[in-house]
Amino acid sequence: MADKPSDLVQGTLDMLILKTLALEPMHGYGISVRIEQMSKGVFRLNAGSLFLAIQRLERDRLIDGEWKPTENNRRARYYTLTAKGRKRLDSETREWSRQVTAIARILEAS
Amino acid sequence: MSLLRNITSGLRSLFRKEQVNRELDEELGEYLEMAAVEKMKQGMSRQDALRAVRLEGGSLDGTKEIVRSGGWESVVDTLWRDLLFAARMLRKSPGFTLVAMLTLALGIGGNTAVFSVMNTVLLRYLPLPNPQQLVFLRLPNAPPDGVSSTGDVDRSFSYPVFEALRKEHAVFSDLMAYVPLAVDKVAVRIGGDPEEAEGDMVSGNFFSGLGVSFTRGRGFALEDETAHASVVVLSYSYWTTRFGRSPSAIGQTIYVKGVPFTVIGVTAQGFYGVEPASSTDFWIPLQNRPELTAWDEEPSLDTLYGTPKWWCIQLIGRLVPGVTESQALAKLDPVFQSAALIGLGTPDPKAKKNILAFSSTQGIQGLREYYQKPIQILLAMVGLVLAIACANVSMLLVARNSTRAREFSVRMALGAGRGRLLRQTLTESFLLVAGGAAFGWMFAISGSQALAAWSGMEIPFVLDSRVLLFTLAISISCAIIFGLAPLRRAVSVPVGVTLKTSNATAYRDQRSSWSGKVVVASQMALCLVLLVGSGLLVRSLRNYQTLPLGLRVDGLLVFGTDPFSVHSDEEKEHFYQDLLARLREAPDVESATLVSHRLGSGWGWNSVWTIDGVEPQGPFSEIGMSANHVGPDFCHTLGIPILRGRDVTDADTRSAPKVVLVNETFSNRFFPKGDALGHSVGKNKPENSFTVVGVIGDSKYKRVDEKSKPTLYFPFAQNTPIPNMQVELRTHSNPEALIPSVHAVLHGLDPNLPIQKPMTQRAQFDKSYSQARLFARLSIFFGVIAVLLVATGLYGTLAYRVDRRTSEIGVRMALGAQHGQVLWLILRESLLVSGAAILAGVPVAIAGARLMRSMLFGVQPGDMISFLLALFGVILVALAASIIPARRAMRVDPMVALRYE
Repeated sequence: MADKPSDLVQGTLDMLILKTLALEPMHGYGISVRIEQMSKGVFRLNAGSLFLAIQRLERDRLIDGEWKPTENNRRARYYTLTAKGRKRLDSETREWSRQVTAIARILEAS
Repeated sequence: MSLLRNITSGLRSLFRKEQVNRELDEELGEYLEMAAVEKMKQGMSRQDALRAVRLEGGSLDGTKEIVRSGGWESVVDTLWRDLLFAARMLRKSPGFTLVAMLTLALGIGGNTAVFSVMNTVLLRYLPLPNPQQLVFLRLPNAPPDGVSSTGDVDRSFSYPVFEALRKEHAVFSDLMAYVPLAVDKVAVRIGGDPEEAEGDMVSGNFFSGLGVSFTRGRGFALEDETAHASVVVLSYSYWTTRFGRSPSAIGQTIYVKGVPFTVIGVTAQGFYGVEPASSTDFWIPLQNRPELTAWDEEPSLDTLYGTPKWWCIQLIGRLVPGVTESQALAKLDPVFQSAALIGLGTPDPKAKKNILAFSSTQGIQGLREYYQKPIQILLAMVGLVLAIACANVSMLLVARNSTRAREFSVRMALGAGRGRLLRQTLTESFLLVAGGAAFGWMFAISGSQALAAWSGMEIPFVLDSRVLLFTLAISISCAIIFGLAPLRRAVSVPVGVTLKTSNATAYRDQRSSWSGKVVVASQMALCLVLLVGSGLLVRSLRNYQTLPLGLRVDGLLVFGTDPFSVHSDEEKEHFYQDLLARLREAPDVESATLVSHRLGSGWGWNSVWTIDGVEPQGPFSEIGMSANHVGPDFCHTLGIPILRGRDVTDADTRSAPKVVLVNETFSNRFFPKGDALGHSVGKNKPENSFTVVGVIGDSKYKRVDEKSKPTLYFPFAQNTPIPNMQVELRTHSNPEALIPSVHAVLHGLDPNLPIQKPMTQRAQFDKSYSQARLFARLSIFFGVIAVLLVATGLYGTLAYRVDRRTSEIGVRMALGAQHGQVLWLILRESLLVSGAAILAGVPVAIAGARLMRSMLFGVQPGDMISFLLALFGVILVALAASIIPARRAMRVDPMVALRYE
């Protein structure tokens, strides 16, 4: 179980992308690598759902995209967190930890 | 903000598809590249790395598809593609598309046109602000005894009642009064020539209370009413027809019965008065002059402005918001009760109670009651036509889609989901119906104009939002039915079967051929119902047209006169003698006479007269008599036979001995021995006694479909006061060609005299059954459409089935079947279907005919001839539609048919 990448909890992908971008602007591949690394391989994104989420976030003005050259002289689309995105990340993080605590409380009770 | 961005970004990907695609390609390509580079760092070859990335993350195209389908624009995009594809499919079979769209257009257009009539006559409110607050005031129990009233007994009030009720501001924010200047039109002169127009006298708050807006100028103020000001407001349509919408109309002078009025305003377009069955041309404030009495009544103390004795004005009120009708009536009742008795002395305790009531302003007053039933029947008929049309189109679609079964199978085999195919056929049927509805709307525009013209209504049947909604609703339900019906057949075919078998013997199951027959049979049953209905209406119309009228109706011209400047009986007698003398001299006039109540106009004079001083006893239905004032040469001019005695002559003047003619029914009822001549007929006073000098044949008086009543004909000058007379002229030539010379004669007598409603006597009688004619014509029209639709539907089905049975027929013929047997094979099928249709249709037709009873004249709902004709018609259609396919079946060459397989 630990070796196999696990499915994301419904609705958390947006929050994870926002969190990743809160550290520094990044391109799509970077986001997926970072999430994989930070989760120690538990979450592995497929390109389809990643770019779908990016498109959605960009349309909601939570992130901004910009074409920039990469280190090996090609160009990639780099995403930065907007002020609105930062606010959304804060509120979602708070909401998430509230839920996690609550769920944990239920599971520990017996 | 984000919604806006969502939309703009969506639009960008729709309209700048290439650039957006390229960017997405580049971004995803870069992603793959980076992932591959990562893998290569771990020692893989480039090729292996790319392959591994694809295995993990799916293909580039798949990913692109996922991302692209994420935005809303992708839905629009696929819909658009579906539409394009559907349009291409329809363009490929233009014949099918055209037939289907036209069929739908007929059905939808017919329904829309009839509904627009229903909307105008029964449903629509007056085009005024907050029309729900408006109510008409009614007198269900008629006015009190001892007062005179108008023909509209249940809606005419007295001036004191109006004055009392208009002060009730807790109930009415405004109470408006209006009263016509004449039963019909009134003499008007603008510039040189006299003409006639429809005018009302109204209270000062009429326009402001109703909320009428103005195109030009202003409406009335309360001072205009109290001062009885000489100002006039024109309706938009009168301004258009009479003044060509000239702004200089304001300030012009209009002479109404010779009294000058100044134009001060023009109402907004679309306002035809509060009772728009016939549009009002102009309005003036309530007048107190003797020339301008309500309803053009003879001026006297009891008919002038303000009298409590004559209940002549009509009221429409605007309720204060929040006041319900029952609250309002409760508050008004005490005020009304005391006002109703003003000027009538002490009330008789046994007298009937006076009741005040409201009625809705929805629809058109006076027409609603009259047209409700016919319109509902018409809507039912046109609904049947739509049902037949829908069945036709869905059969066409079924036939078309079952030949497309292979196409569907291929697409399903390639992975198209049923949902995708469903969306496709739905889109196609939506396109068909949209086209049909668009054509149908155009039909409806001209159709409703034609209906308005035929029904003789002066206001247009507006196609407003309610009608549009109705059309959309029926169109959408059609589209959904069409989309679903054929698909069920097409996709229920197992993929393997269709792909394996050849076209000619493509999958057929018993059930589907059954459902086709059921549809055709029910179509024919509906057609039978329609044909019975039209047969009954047409036979009613024939009865109206061929009914003997009792007079020689052709070659007669009738017109009205209103010598408003002539008042005393002496002057009036002289005026009409003079007029007759001049008209007899006019070219082409053979003879001329007068009547007070125009024949065939629906108006009459009913009362009871004494016979030899004794009033006949019995119910009014038996002793009630009709009467008319007539001029010299009455029988001669109209062509009514004189059975005994003589005609009215020039010698029967006001001073001559009083005489009267009676008709045959009168003579038979009251003088069964045939000795009517010499007896006397009278009323009230002994000097009002008339000697019977002639018995003449029965003739139609008020309308074509009346029963013969005992009728009296008084020489016009002998039964005073002398009313305004209508003139009847007999000619050898075309009666309408006399109109210019009549104009000249009238102008010679008085330049203010208009010629009122000139028309042939035949046309006047025809008007008395114009409703029957309208509905008969329409039902013929619908019947013909139904027959055509059913014929094409049956033909299409049979032809299609013969086509599919070609090889079967070939085999049969190869085995020795004769031509006759093959013919019978095909005919038997259509005869069976017709038989079933007749069995199902006859009971429905019988029930339907019963509902139409009130619209029939001289025909029973169970009329054998109508039923037989309808049956004959349906069978004829069935045979005609079968002939061509049957002949084609006979010509099948066995060798060709077998080789084809």
